[in-house]
Amino acid sequence: MKWITARRRHPLAGYVVVIIALAFFGVGYAFVAPNADRAQAQTVAAGSEEAPVDISNGKQIFVQSCASCHGLDGKGTENGPDLTGVGAAAVDFQVSTGRMPSMNPDVQMPRRDPVYTEQEILDLAAYVDQEFGGGPAIPEQAPGLAPQRSDFEDESEYKAAKEQYEAAYEQYIAGGDTEAGMKLYMTNCAHCHSWSGAGGALTDGRWAPEIHEATPREIYEAMITGPGAMPVFNDTTITEEEKQSLIKFVKDLQAEPDAGGVFSLDRIGQVAEGFIGWTVGMSLIVACAIWITAKQRAHD
Amino acid sequence: MSTTPAPKALRGLGNYIDDRFHLAKTGEKNLRKVFPNHWSFMLGEIALYSFIILLVTGVFLTLWFNPSMGHVVYDGSYERLRGVGMSEAYASTLHITFDVRGGLFIRQVHHWAALIFVASLVIHMLRVFFTGAFRKPREINWLIGVAIFTLAIVEGLFGYSLPDDLPSGMGVRIFQGVLLAIPVIGTYLMMFMFGGEFPGEAIIPRLYTLHILVIPGILLALIVAHFMILWHQKHTQYPGTGRTEKKVVGTPMYPAFAVKAGGFFFFTFAVIAGLAAFVQINPIHLFGPFTPTSITSGLQPDWYMGFLEGALRIFPNWFDFTIAGYAVPMGVLLPGLGGMGLLFGGLAAWPFIEAWITGDKRHHNVADRPRNAPTRTGIGAAGVTAYGLIWLAGSNDILSETFSISLYATTWFFRIAIILGPIIAFIVTKRICLGLQRRDREILEHGYESGTIQQLPSGEFIEVHKESSPDTVHVLQSKPPARIDIDSTDENGVEPPSGRGAKGRLRARLAHWYTKDNVSFEGVRPHSGHHLHHGATASEEESVKAH
Ligand code: HEC
Ligand code: HEC
Ligand code: HEM
Repeated sequence: MKWITARRRHPLAGYVVVIIALAFFGVGYAFVAPNADRAQAQTVAAGSEEAPVDISNGKQIFVQSCASCHGLDGKGTENGPDLTGVGAAAVDFQVSTGRMPSMNPDVQMPRRDPVYTEQEILDLAAYVDQEFGGGPAIPEQAPGLAPQRSDFEDESEYKAAKEQYEAAYEQYIAGGDTEAGMKLYMTNCAHCHSWSGAGGALTDGRWAPEIHEATPREIYEAMITGPGAMPVFNDTTITEEEKQSLIKFVKDLQAEPDAGGVFSLDRIGQVAEGFIGWTVGMSLIVACAIWITAKQRAHD
Repeated sequence: MSTTPAPKALRGLGNYIDDRFHLAKTGEKNLRKVFPNHWSFMLGEIALYSFIILLVTGVFLTLWFNPSMGHVVYDGSYERLRGVGMSEAYASTLHITFDVRGGLFIRQVHHWAALIFVASLVIHMLRVFFTGAFRKPREINWLIGVAIFTLAIVEGLFGYSLPDDLPSGMGVRIFQGVLLAIPVIGTYLMMFMFGGEFPGEAIIPRLYTLHILVIPGILLALIVAHFMILWHQKHTQYPGTGRTEKKVVGTPMYPAFAVKAGGFFFFTFAVIAGLAAFVQINPIHLFGPFTPTSITSGLQPDWYMGFLEGALRIFPNWFDFTIAGYAVPMGVLLPGLGGMGLLFGGLAAWPFIEAWITGDKRHHNVADRPRNAPTRTGIGAAGVTAYGLIWLAGSNDILSETFSISLYATTWFFRIAIILGPIIAFIVTKRICLGLQRRDREILEHGYESGTIQQLPSGEFIEVHKESSPDTVHVLQSKPPARIDIDSTDENGVEPPSGRGAKGRLRARLAHWYTKDNVSFEGVRPHSGHHLHHGATASEEESVKAH
């Protein structure tokens, strides 16, 4: 991903050498920094919107794996809510993030790999939208899941789709305005999902999940459908353009490398810093004090 | 020291200076000052070294930092925030981070050194507390220490607020909230501090003056005073042969101690620099600038302010009330100012409270072993527990998220734990101390367990005890008397005047509570216990082993 590499900076690289020399000066203690590069899977992905939807296939899936909780008529049961008027966007969000079909209707579902292929999800969404009354449509303009190799017969077709997807992704992300996005995110989302998008605790055992893996489309859909405990931010509260800015801000921040060092402490911040300050910093220094004075005792 | 004379020119200069300032005499005396050989006496030095690092890196930062709330549109080299409106303070911190050579590194050194500075103050204070080194004649130095600790925390809070990034703003907002909560004068105080409504334009420049000039100046003066008093009074020392209330044993300042201290400085610096190079701290470029509408979870103050945050989070709002149209938010006031007051006030008052209870007016140069003052040690442990719990409570959202516990559950857990935890810590610690005292008495009386089992002619098995070294005996015998004779009557059976009146009775009761469980060593003669008498003399022991 070019836009990461272009911005990656190593302002600290040179100092490492000096520090190691200093450490030797102090006690001749060798420092081996383990490699903590965490591969943050960046799900950046594609949509093959053109394919025609197959509503009967959607119906079949619904009857098989959704009706038990949501009812054949979509009016809901004690295990699942009424789907009247939820719209295609809600289905696409719930199923593409792996929340639906739910495993346990009593708890908040975590994000999982989707159970259905993209085409199947589109079929399902179209069926629900048509049968149970329309709601917010899938925001096609925001890129969804990246193309999967398994969906393509040959390599070149996959590569072409992938390239096309990446171009669309970059174009979408480049389109927004960082300042507007930052303000919108900090005002509307950060108190639940935290400033970094790492998520946070809510009341009643619920939590706001991390939003790093969500595709732009899923972020968009989350806003217009308000899953679970999350409020709805429809296109009048936050306009389509503003949503693009917000998504740009989230995705840019996430892609931003941690300039401050190889150990980013998962961007948890001050609690983790305090913990490291005490456990690593203080213990090393106190250990050295013990070492120095013990040495002294041996002499006298 | 070397016997070869210094070059003539140097000698000339030396003599010139010496003729005028008589440095050689004072110098020699000071160079021979002894330092105790125990690691726990080095803890204060960590604070000194990290303070020096803070001064040096802080001066570096002032060269580029622009303490202004003036609005600018960023067009520096950090691409993500180009075109974003922000304060000049934040923009200049970005400039330090990305455009000044070594800027990010120095910022991270400054911040890590701040964390280590306060942490080392805390453990240094704990050492002084638990060994009773704050007792007469060192109460003044203890008070100076408490002042340094208080100012260090405030200094850290203000420094943290300078870059005007997201956590800065949140911190300043809490600061403002606590100011506002003060009855009657709160609003005026806050308007005075902020020069108008929050956030205004004035706060960053004001905090800047305090952060780089006023507080470091006072800190420096206090640290110098602290060291001068230390120099004059000398360190306390742990009990041991030859170490008395009158005589200090240790390594002379020059050359042995100076070399060790120099090495220790470099090591402290290396650890802080190592952290700064490898571990990201306060990534202001990721946080983004503060805007008044921002609210976010997942941010905390630095660890040393955590106890305040924790107190605010778990304190219930049951006591808020309104008087004559003024709202008095006790839920903010009590934890916000009460917590600080309790911590610093309690620390400052303790030496005097303890001296009053024990009636101990003597000079102390030999440190207490913590087990020999079990009530004090228990109170210290309770304090540490309370502090630790309330600090954890300040990160309850992170705990709740990381360990998937409900947020309400953590709040209630901490509300109960903050009351029970210290009590349990007190009881457990005191029990442990008394157990150790009993074991000390055992060792003093019977010698130590040698691990050799011997069968007596009667068929009974005993473990052979050996005599402890004279040094151990000395340390064990140094235990102060178990009880304070406060309620004793004089020869005429009259209560001492100090025991009369409500205050006197309270004091008598406290003194009783303070020492009632101590194990008395009175009348214990070293190695007089029966195991030794049954006695394994060396030859007997050999013969036992031979079987
Ligand atoms: C085990 C029961 C269960 C199954 C099976 C199930 N769901 Fe759900 N569904 C739920 C529950 C419970 C919720 C409410 C979740 C919440 O509020 O956090 C829900 C919520 C939803 C929503 C969001 C409704 C809204 O108001 O936004 C949609 C859309 C949805 N389900 C679609 C589906 C689809 C499509 C399937 C089949 C692939 C499915 N569900 C299978 C239990 C189930
Ligand atoms: C009241 C707290 C709250 C607010 C405010 C909020 N969210 Fe959420 N968000 C949630 C919860 C809870 C969920 C999980 C819903 C579920 O699984 O049923 C969620 C889920 C999401 C997801 C899906 C993440 C994934 O990968 O599974 C995204 C994306 C998201 N939110 C984005 C946003 C954005 C953007 C905003 C601001 C416009 C926002 N949220 C505001 C609580 C909130
Ligand atoms: C007791 C000592 C000190 C403590 C605890 C302390 C703490 C801090 C902290 C936590 C920050 C925020 C750093 C960050 O951005 O990550 C800071 C910033 C700053 N400090 Fe200090 N500091 C101390 C002394 C000094 C001194 C003596 C100076 C200057 C003479 C100074 C100058 C600065 C400046 C200019 C900043 C803002 C620049 C920036 O944030 O990058 N500090 N300080």
